Parts: sequence; C-alpha cells; structure tokens
Amino acid sequence: MTPLRFEELHAHEWTELETLLASTPRRKRESVSLRQVDDRGPERLAALYRRTCEHLALARERAYPAYMVTRLEQLTSEAHQLVYQQRVFGLGALRHMIAVGFPKAVYRDARYIGLAAAVFFIPTIILGVLVYRSPELVLSIISPESAAQFEEMYSPTASSIGRTRSADTDWIMFGFYIRNNIGVAFQCFAAGLFFGVGTLFFLAHNAAFGGAIAGYLTERGLGSTFYSFIATHSAFELTAIVLAGGAGLKIGHSLLAPGRRSRTAALVVATQESAVILYGVTVLLVIAAAVEAFWSSAGWLNPVIKYTVAAICWAAVLGYLVIQGRHAR
Amino acid sequence: MAAEVLDTIVTAETPEGILLELKPAGLTARLYAFLLDWMIRLMAMNVMLLILAPLGGLGVGLWLVLYFLAEWLYPVAFELSRSGATPGKRVFHIKVVMDNGLPVTPAASLTRNLLRVADLLPLAFGFGIVWVLLRRDAKRLGDLAAATMVVYEPTPAVRPSLQGVPPMLPSIPLPPRDQAAVIALAVRAPTLTGDRLDELAALAAGVSGDAGRQGPEVTRRVLGVAQWLLGHRA
Repeated sequence: MTPLRFEELHAHEWTELETLLASTPRRKRESVSLRQVDDRGPERLAALYRRTCEHLALARERAYPAYMVTRLEQLTSEAHQLVYQQRVFGLGALRHMIAVGFPKAVYRDARYIGLAAAVFFIPTIILGVLVYRSPELVLSIISPESAAQFEEMYSPTASSIGRTRSADTDWIMFGFYIRNNIGVAFQCFAAGLFFGVGTLFFLAHNAAFGGAIAGYLTERGLGSTFYSFIATHSAFELTAIVLAGGAGLKIGHSLLAPGRRSRTAALVVATQESAVILYGVTVLLVIAAAVEAFWSSAGWLNPVIKYTVAAICWAAVLGYLVIQGRHAR
Repeated sequence: MAAEVLDTIVTAETPEGILLELKPAGLTARLYAFLLDWMIRLMAMNVMLLILAPLGGLGVGLWLVLYFLAEWLYPVAFELSRSGATPGKRVFHIKVVMDNGLPVTPAASLTRNLLRVADLLPLAFGFGIVWVLLRRDAKRLGDLAAATMVVYEPTPAVRPSLQGVPPMLPSIPLPPRDQAAVIALAVRAPTLTGDRLDELAALAAGVSGDAGRQGPEVTRRVLGVAQWLLGHRA
C-alpha cells in the first residue's frame, strides 16, 4: 500500500481525533472529564486513539514518509496524555491529604523522622548548654561581628525584635533570615540525594548554629526577647525542618540500600513516597513565614501572650501529627 | 540502527505497545530558559516591592511571604499548568514531562524543583550541569529522582510539496528503508539549495537508473521516484 493510499483510507479518523482533542479542555476543572468531550462519550476517543496507535505502528513498520509518521506520533502522544492523565487536583484530594495522607506518611516514615529529630535536637541542646556555660565558645561557630549583630537584634531596646536598628537595613536582614531559615528545610531534604550524608550534615550544622546562638543570647540575658520571638514560628519551622530531614534520610537510605530494585528505581519510589511529606512541609513553611513576618516580630506584644500562643501552636502541630497519624494507620 | 547513535531520542512505551519519541532538551536550552525565568522572577518581585513597600511593615511582611513562594513554588505552579512549562521554558520550546510522556504530576513537579538545591551544589549548578551533560536523556538529579524529563515540544510535520514533478517508476526494487530515504530527501528538497540537492540526489541516483550521473535532470528524476513511492501515479 502506498503512503498516499494509506492516508486516503484513514485520514478521516485522524482528523476526527484531532477535532476531538482540540475541543477538549484539559485540566481546567475536575468536572471537565472525558464524558463531556462528545455525546458519544469517551468510547469514541479511546477507539480512535487505539486505531491511531495501530496506524502509527504500521506507518513506522512500512517506513512511510516522515511527515505522516510525525503527525501520527503527535496525535497519539496528545491522546495518550488525555487518556492516561491523572487527576489529582481538587478540594476532596486536598482534604484527604491533610486529614489522612500527610499524617499517615509521617507515621510510616517515623523511623527516619525520629533519626532526623535526634540529629537536629541533640546538637542544639549540647551546643546550647556548652555555649551557655562558656560563652566564648560561640566564636568558634560565628564571627564576632555576627555575634554582636545577633545581640543587637534581640536587645529589648530594638524597635522591633529580630531586626537591626538601622531602618534601611532592617527588613533586608529580616528577609535574609526568613529566606535562610526556610531554605534550610528544603536543603535538608535535597541533600539527602548524597546518600543521606548531606541531610545529616545540614541538620547538625543548623542545629549547632541555632543552639550556639540560643545559648549565647541566654547567657547575655536576652533570653526573653529571643525566645518570645522564635517560640511561635518555630512550632512550624522546626517541625518542617525535621520532617524534611526525615524525607531526605529516606531517599538517602533508598540509594544506600535499594533492596531488590535498581538504585535509580528505589530512588524514584522513595521520592514519590516523600512527596506527601513535602506537601505538608511546604504548607508548614508558608505558615512559618507568615507567622515570622507578622506575629513574631511584633515587639509590642506581651511575652506571656506570645508564649501562650506558641504553646498552643506546638500542641496543635504535634497533636495533629500524632493523633491523625495513629488514626490513619 | 545507525540513527540511534546520533540521536538522543528517548522512547516511552504506551500500554498500546507503541513507542512515543521524546527529544530531551540539552544544557543550552535549559540554561537559557532558567536565566530567563530568573529574570522574570526578579522583575516581578521588584514590581511587587514597588507596590507593597508603601504599605510599610505589613507590605514588607507580605512581600517576604511572596518572595518565598516565588523562589520555591514558581516553577511548580507553571509546570502544573496546561503547557507544562515555565515562561522561560515556553520561549525555548521545551517542557517538563514524566518519563512515560505524560504531563508532570504535582508530586513529581514539587520534588524535582526542591531537589534543585542538590543540583546547585557544590557551586553554580555543578552537579546539575555534569549530570545533564553526561546522561543521554539529559536529566539532572532532580529529574532522576522525580522520574521527569525536560523535552522539546514536538514541531508540526511538514508535508512535501512536489507539485509539477511527474511520478516515475523506480528502476530497481527498493526495500522500505531505501524508500524512506528517497521520500525523506523529497521532503527536505525545498529547504536545500539547488547544488546541494543535486549532490544528495546523485547519491540516490541508482533508483532512477542514473547511477554515477549528477545534475538537475537526475535530481528531477529522483524526485519523480519519490513522487511515485508516495503513491502518485501519472
């Protein structure tokens, strides 16, 4: 059969499929599904898709001209995307993720998250206590200039906690810290790709830094401004860092011990499973950023109110994860 | 097949048993797209700052939250849109798809973009660049873990226009691959200069019984054979 004869015989089906595809809005709403494509329903589209697949196979086997093979390739690939696309959007899916998916995934990966928490909190406490006892140790972690800057930022006379006094630079510094703190969580996850070592490093590194600053400022008598500043948003931020670290350790472990899969395949599976946790981490970090920007920096609020709100936030975050996680198991 | 050595085409098999061909985008296109996206983001954030700064502390706080979103979720939002590409990628006609040719899923988009941090290390996208250059499918680490790929948008097929060339019966029986080669030459004919076309046609002159000869007349006869192979009859 000559290419032109082949085209003559089947072109009407290709044109019909092209029209069907063009008239289908994709990914607008969940309600817009194959059913609305045409009166004859998805059957027609699926049938045409399979026919076109057949034609493509024939055209390739018979080495028909490139323009025809390309047209069929594009047609099948477009139809393939429509027929097999996953619809995972929508409020229902979101509600399910918040109520079940996220806490369940946290529970499933509790081993990794527990390890991440240990690697994060133990150095924090050790460094905090050490620096509190001998403050000069802080200089082995940060420069004298930064130490002075932190001291100034959290001094009770500062116009707004967490910022330096110069009006020009205060929001720049502030922005820098928000970006930095939030980036840390994602960094802890991504560094897991290096067999988990990167995650361990970033967790411990940030923990040492945070612990040293806390110990230093406490020793300096600035504890009340410092803790009232970080208490609330840390409920979201530290949780997010530990969860992201757990996800990082998970992908690192999948590379170290892939089991019966290839390393790449094990990595893909671990990454897919971590995705749910990362959704949660992202939401927690957005909350943390908003709280840090609007609530934590408000110096005029009584520390007692701040501590109360902070306690409620911590209880809410941990309670949600534990209760919903057990529930979903 | 010899073409497999030269091409970087990656195939994905569908449940129907056909192979979809994906053309992975290399370092240059991806780098340009990234730089363009970076500039777009920078400009958008500067404009937002101009709008929000007069609001004082509230405005700056809002801007910082926006900055966080723009920095981390800008690619995710665009990759999940219908085009599957950020504005920068769209300009360079590339997009993100799953390994199996399907549109990128939210989970894959989020993880591939968060893992960009790993590609950034040790500095200036070091790992990302090395991986893209070394792998046939030009995946960076984030693509590897998320099972995604950056591919070129398919370009529309061009129909050969051989009006006025009389069809001519091939002088020898041609196997399918030779037929395809002759037709491919005819498809390319309009894009070639006359002399180059003559040179190439001379290589295939055997099909019209003109082996060893070259010139516009031979070219016309070779194209005539292509016309016949396509299915045109006098």
